[in-house]
Amino acid sequence: MTRLSLRNPLLTPEQIVQSPSQRQGMSQTLELDLRAYGCHLVEAAGIVLRVPQVVMASAQVLFQRFYYLASFQDYPLRGTVLGALFLACKVEESPKSIRSIINVVDIIIKRDRGYPEIVTDGYDAEYYDLKNEMVIGEMQILRRLGFNVQVELPYGLLVNYLRCLELTEHPLIPQLSWNYLNDLLRTPVYVCFQPETIACGVIYLAARKCGVSLPASPPWWIVFDANEEDIKQVARAAVALHERSRLRIMPLDSDELEMYLQGSLDDHINAIRHTRSESMASTI
Amino acid sequence: MASKAILGEEINKETESLYKKEKKLGEGTYAVVYLGHHIRTNRKVAIKKIKLGNMRSGLDMSAIREVKALRELRHPNVIELIDVFSHKTNLNLVLEFLDTDLENVIKDKSLVFMPADIKSWMMMALRGLDHCHKCWLLHRDLKPNNFLIASDGQLKLADFGLAREFGDVKRAMTSQTVTRWYRAPELLLGATNYTGSIDIWAMGCIFAELSLRAPYLPGASDLEQLTTILRARGTPTEDEWPGMMKLPTGYNFEKFPKPQFSDLFRGSSEDAVDLMNKMLTFNPVQRLSAADALQHPYFRNLPRPTAPAKLPRPRQTVVDEEEEAAADANRKRQFQEAFDDALSATDADRRQAVEPVAKKMDLRISSPA
Repeated sequence: MTRLSLRNPLLTPEQIVQSPSQRQGMSQTLELDLRAYGCHLVEAAGIVLRVPQVVMASAQVLFQRFYYLASFQDYPLRGTVLGALFLACKVEESPKSIRSIINVVDIIIKRDRGYPEIVTDGYDAEYYDLKNEMVIGEMQILRRLGFNVQVELPYGLLVNYLRCLELTEHPLIPQLSWNYLNDLLRTPVYVCFQPETIACGVIYLAARKCGVSLPASPPWWIVFDANEEDIKQVARAAVALHERSRLRIMPLDSDELEMYLQGSLDDHINAIRHTRSESMASTI
Repeated sequence: MASKAILGEEINKETESLYKKEKKLGEGTYAVVYLGHHIRTNRKVAIKKIKLGNMRSGLDMSAIREVKALRELRHPNVIELIDVFSHKTNLNLVLEFLDTDLENVIKDKSLVFMPADIKSWMMMALRGLDHCHKCWLLHRDLKPNNFLIASDGQLKLADFGLAREFGDVKRAMTSQTVTRWYRAPELLLGATNYTGSIDIWAMGCIFAELSLRAPYLPGASDLEQLTTILRARGTPTEDEWPGMMKLPTGYNFEKFPKPQFSDLFRGSSEDAVDLMNKMLTFNPVQRLSAADALQHPYFRNLPRPTAPAKLPRPRQTVVDEEEEAAADANRKRQFQEAFDDALSATDADRRQAVEPVAKKMDLRISSPA
C-alpha cells in the first residue's frame, strides 16, 4: 500500500550521498549548477507560457527527482527540461502544445547565450531534434520515476501555517517565505523532505530574517509534524542557494558537457554567437 | 508509514516479479490488457500495459489522468489500482481483475431483472460515484460498460481516462466529454464550468437504461442528442432552468410537452421514477448529488436491494477453441514484440533477443545480412 502512497517519494540516505552523475565522475558543484540552471529554464519558460505556478513547481520537482535516478551524462539537461515541462503541464491539467513549449525554451536558451532570438522553423532539423529530445525526455522521466509523477507542494500548507501563527498580516514574512519556497525548488530539498517540513523551514528562516520570535516552548513546529533538525536543514539550503551566483551558460547536451569539462564551451558559444549575429546582419 | 515512499527504479523489478502475465484480454486506445495473477497469493489481476515506446507526441493524457485518479481513490465500488511498474519502455498498471460489465448484463436478453436488482446496482454505482465526488474528482465518462462487475457481484467504477479534479471556478474544462448518449444538457450547450451533476445525469440515463433494457436517450449525432433529450424530457421553461439561454450555444428550442414518465417506465415503482426524474433534472444546480440520491426514499423502501452475490450474471462463454486461438495469437505477438525490440538494437543484441523466442516457437531465423 505504501507504494501507491500519495506522499512525495523521498530519497534514501544512500541516494543522497551519491547521485548517479557523481557516481559517473561529475563534481558536486557542477551537478548543483546544472540542477539550478535546469530549474531556471523550467521556471522562466513557465512564466512565458503563462501556466499556473503549480505546473512550474511540479516540473522542477520532477526534474530534480529524475537526476537522482539517472545521470546528466546519460540524459542531457535540455531534453529533461523539455520533458518535465511537457509532462507537468499534462499532469496539472494545463496542456500546452509541443510547439509552444519548444519555442519558449529555445528562445530562453538563446537569450541566455546572447544568440540572435530567432524562432526555430517548424520544418527545421533543429526543431525536430528538440521535439525528439522532448518526447524521449518525457518517456525517460516516466520510466525512471515508475510513473510516480504526482507532486505534493508546500504552498497551500504555508498559507495555513502562517495563518495559525498569525503572521499573514506581517509586511514581509508571507512574501519572503513564499519566495524561499520558489527558490528551494532549485535545490534537492523537495526530494529530501515532506512539504510540512519545507513549509516550516521557510517560515523559520523568514521569521529569523525579520526578527520575529515564534512560540518556543513547546516549539511551534511540533504542531506541524516537523522537527528542528530538518527545518534547520531546509533553512540552510535556502541560505546556501542565495550565496551562489547564477550561471547563464551551462552545457545542455552531451557534446557541450564534454566541451565544458575541457573548458572550451565558452569559446564555442562565443563563436556561434558571432557567426549567427553576422549572418543575421547580412540578411538584413 | 507516510514518509516511506522511496524514490527509485529498483522497486520496479521487485514489483514486476510479483506478478505473472497470462493471456491477452483486449486492446484499448492506448493500452493492452492482460490477465495475470499475483504469484504468491494467486489473486487474479488485470495488467494494463501502456505503450510508451512508439509515441510520437508524448504520452496520452488519458493514461496520466487514469493513474492520477486511481491513486487517490479507494472504495469497494471503484476499481482498485494495486500496483504500478515499468518494464523497458512500457508502463504497467496492475488492476483488480473483473470479469464482466454492466453493458454485458443489460444486453444479455436471457437475464430477467427484478426491481430489487436494479436498486442494488444503482446503490453500488452511486456509492462509487459519491466517493469520486468526495475526492473532488469527476469521472466524465459514465456508461454501462465502464461499470465492471466482480465475481462476487460488486459493481465497480472503472476507466478513469477522462477523469479530472473539479472545484476551481476559474479554470475552464472542456464540454466535449462523456459518451454522447449519457451527456448532460449543459455540456451539449457548451458549458465549460460544471460539477458532479454531469455524472449524475449519466447515472440517471443508466438508471433508465436498466429499467428499459435499451439506451434511454440514443441521439444519432451531437446536434440530435439535444433534441432527443428535449423530446423525451420536455423542453424546460425559463423557470425550470434559469440561465439556460446564457450558455454558449443556448438558443430558442422547439417546445416539446412534458411526457407522462410513468407510461414509459411501467415496470418501475413510483419512488424509482421520482429518483430518476430528480437525477435527470435539467437545471444542474437542482439535480441531486450522489450523496443526496443515496438518501432518497427509493433506497429505503421495499423491495430491499438484492445482495451483490445474488445478482443476475451473464453466462460464462468460455469456448476452448477461442482460448486456443487467443493463446496462439499471443505467442505470435510475443515473437513480433521481441523482433521489434531487436530492430532497434545492435546485431548482437538482436540475435540474443530473437533466438530464444524463435527456439521456443520452433521458428528458424535467417542471420542478418
